[in-house]
Amino acid sequence: MKKRILVVDDEEGLRLLYKEELEDEGWDVDLAASGEESLERLEKDSIDLVLLDIKMPGMDGVEVLRRVKEKWKDLPVILCTAYPHYKHDFGTWASDAYITKSSDLTELKQTIKEILGKKR
Amino acid sequence: MEYDIIEEVNELAASGGTLEERLERVARLFALKFHFDECLFFLAGEGGALKLAASSSGLCTTGVLSYGNGEGLPAVAIEKGVLVEAHKGPRGAEWEGVPDRGLEGVSTALVYPLGGKGASFGVVYLKSRERTKLPLVKKQLLKVAAIQAALMVRNAALIEDHRKAHSELLEIQARLASSEKLLALGDMAATMAHEIRNPLLSIGGYAARLKRQLPPGSPGLVYLDKMSHEIGRIEKIMNGIIRFLKDNLVELKPDDLNGIVDEALNVFADEFSAHGIAVERRSRHAPLPVLADREQMKIAFDNIIANAIQSMEKGGALKVVTSRSGDFAVAEVSDTGGGIDPKHIGYIFNPFFTTKKHGTGLGLPIANSIITRHRGGIEVRNEGRGASFTIKLPYSGAARPGADVPPVEAGRAV
Repeated sequence: MKKRILVVDDEEGLRLLYKEELEDEGWDVDLAASGEESLERLEKDSIDLVLLDIKMPGMDGVEVLRRVKEKWKDLPVILCTAYPHYKHDFGTWASDAYITKSSDLTELKQTIKEILGKKR
Repeated sequence: MEYDIIEEVNELAASGGTLEERLERVARLFALKFHFDECLFFLAGEGGALKLAASSSGLCTTGVLSYGNGEGLPAVAIEKGVLVEAHKGPRGAEWEGVPDRGLEGVSTALVYPLGGKGASFGVVYLKSRERTKLPLVKKQLLKVAAIQAALMVRNAALIEDHRKAHSELLEIQARLASSEKLLALGDMAATMAHEIRNPLLSIGGYAARLKRQLPPGSPGLVYLDKMSHEIGRIEKIMNGIIRFLKDNLVELKPDDLNGIVDEALNVFADEFSAHGIAVERRSRHAPLPVLADREQMKIAFDNIIANAIQSMEKGGALKVVTSRSGDFAVAEVSDTGGGIDPKHIGYIFNPFFTTKKHGTGLGLPIANSIITRHRGGIEVRNEGRGASFTIKLPYSGAARPGADVPPVEAGRAV
């Protein structure tokens, strides 16, 4: 069965980009435009991985991460941010990976592959 | 009685002009009222020497312009805290065994210290070619008038101090205002960087998609390549700005400078071998307790090490030595990359200053700002075949004599 990824980002352009790029890799992609919406989606759908932007109006990515990990302990979450150097720190803390937002999605796809591969 | 001299001195003290101008008027008044040929004021300068500050005959006096520490009648008056009255013949420059160049051609001299005994900061010096003896009452009057003059000098010094303090405060206020402006500007720039970044990522991402969809050899590929490359450049600059502006908070925790340096070096292990750079790591003291935000300090060292690697892309040697020096834990990062052009060395910590074709000019400023926020410092100098950066953080270990710090020589190659 195809794995389903939930992309959470307040930027429409980026959501669509992620959707097209990740679908090309053979994953199903759900989209959420806010932290609140992402939690609703998670209640309804069966999601295998969350790609989460940190800086969002309303509920930010760190808060979403906290709630996701409370409720779905084993659901992998990849945090996206502008601060590349917090990687190690955050990674060991709660998220499963920490990605610097970039127009080059190679690192992101590689990380998703590794995490989804590990799960099975 | 001539008590009105007190009032007149007070009036002069309150009149306008510089201290020297007012003091000169007081000197003229003294000479006139006490019937002396000349009245001089000497004030203590640096090192305690007395310098002529005002004269009833103007500052072009031919007499003595200064007295060294302990020299002449002023020294006697100051030491004893009394009015010295000297009478002597028309020749010679001595009074009761005390030589004084100011006594040349003088028959009567009066010297009285300004300021109380033990706290004198000058003298008033009256000279007469005539042999006169001042009556006791006039002497008393002279003393009181001199005290008034001394107060005037004191007040002038106080006012000067205040003026200085005030202008320093104004300067600090101006600096604060400009740093507030900078902060506001920084916030704006950070917001802008964030706002520009997301659409930019979309553009770059779609350009990459388009590139993959075009058939091989199609002419549009060249343009898309250029677009991607340029977008990559802007992204790099934006990342730098965001990091430079937004990472302002440091969370200080007890840490070990050796560990921070080692961790930063480990990140570059692949790059060192890729560029043929030999790494020498020494710690002269271990541990090196500091209060640091490890992630931030690693960013600082990342930038410094990356800068060194860029200067040695065709190979070289990187030496990293940590040690304790007094109140500081010190890391020295030296490369053999040819050093920094002396005309650039003053600018390398300025944001956006770069000599590299694709540098953002933010690496070293970021390092500098992080280290500064740790109450440390960074310095650079050219040394040997390259540049040497010295990073200092306050040593946070218990204050012990330096000898107690166990020296450790641990050289190793990464």
